[in-house]
Amino acid sequence: MISDPGLLVLVGTLALATAVGLVVRARAGRMRTGGAASGGWALAGTAPAASDRVLLLQLSSPVCTPCRRTAELLTDLSARRPGVVHLEIDVAERPDVARELSVMRTPTVVAFTRDGAELLRISGVPRLPELEAAIAPRLTGTGSA
Amino acid sequence: MSTPAAPARRDPPVDPRGVRFSAALTTLVLALVLVSGSGWLLGAQALVFALGSIAGLRFSPYAVLFRVLVAPRLRPPTEREEAAPVRFSQTVGLVFAVIGTVGYLAGLTGLGIVATAFALAAAFLNAAFGFCLGCELYAVIARFRKNNQQGATA
Repeated sequence: MISDPGLLVLVGTLALATAVGLVVRARAGRMRTGGAASGGWALAGTAPAASDRVLLLQLSSPVCTPCRRTAELLTDLSARRPGVVHLEIDVAERPDVARELSVMRTPTVVAFTRDGAELLRISGVPRLPELEAAIAPRLTGTGSA
Repeated sequence: MSTPAAPARRDPPVDPRGVRFSAALTTLVLALVLVSGSGWLLGAQALVFALGSIAGLRFSPYAVLFRVLVAPRLRPPTEREEAAPVRFSQTVGLVFAVIGTVGYLAGLTGLGIVATAFALAAAFLNAAFGFCLGCELYAVIARFRKNNQQGATA
């Protein structure tokens, strides 16, 4: 019975899919730093106002349920924390931005400092306390690079 | 295939719990296909995919089961999901199920097994993790389609 190829493939497929699922779940919403993207404000077609410190550039697609939840979270965050700007870009409208930032999945949020350097990025719905703690140091002081 | 893309987008949003319920049933059926090697069972699953993909998600037998048997026992959904990517994922499932059915019935068992395994992996990821492979694919394809339209920017 164990030598039945269908059964072997069944067990193998479920094992592989479980591994993939666990990796995807573990990465979802987690921050990654070390990205070297720059020019975030320009990509979004804007420039920081005097009091702006951090840009949360959200890349979304039109049909994407977690994108809506992410937008709600970040709209709320930018309303609560002065200096935080949240902008959303539709990758279907602006594939060039997705290419420039090497973003394959939506939602992906790329955080930029005032001078446009990448601070961190998150794919999936962000874990808010983690994100807030990470950008907090950038919200104080003059915000110079 | 005569239906243009626009009506698909007008599908009402769907209950994500129903999508996962359907994926769980699909996983079960595809696992049985692999164990039994039955091309006819895979053909039946292809028909289920075809109804969801071509007629619309609410015509899928699994969605009907969810509406009649499961949904009345649950609280109303707190969120809803866009139907278009889910419907697209049914189309992807349909392609694999048709290839697999042809394989099994034509005696190309290896082809049947491999095609079924791909569909099974996608259905299982959705059922167990809520991760919709077909929906991700939909977003990627939407991007490249747009890229091609713009042409010169590539």
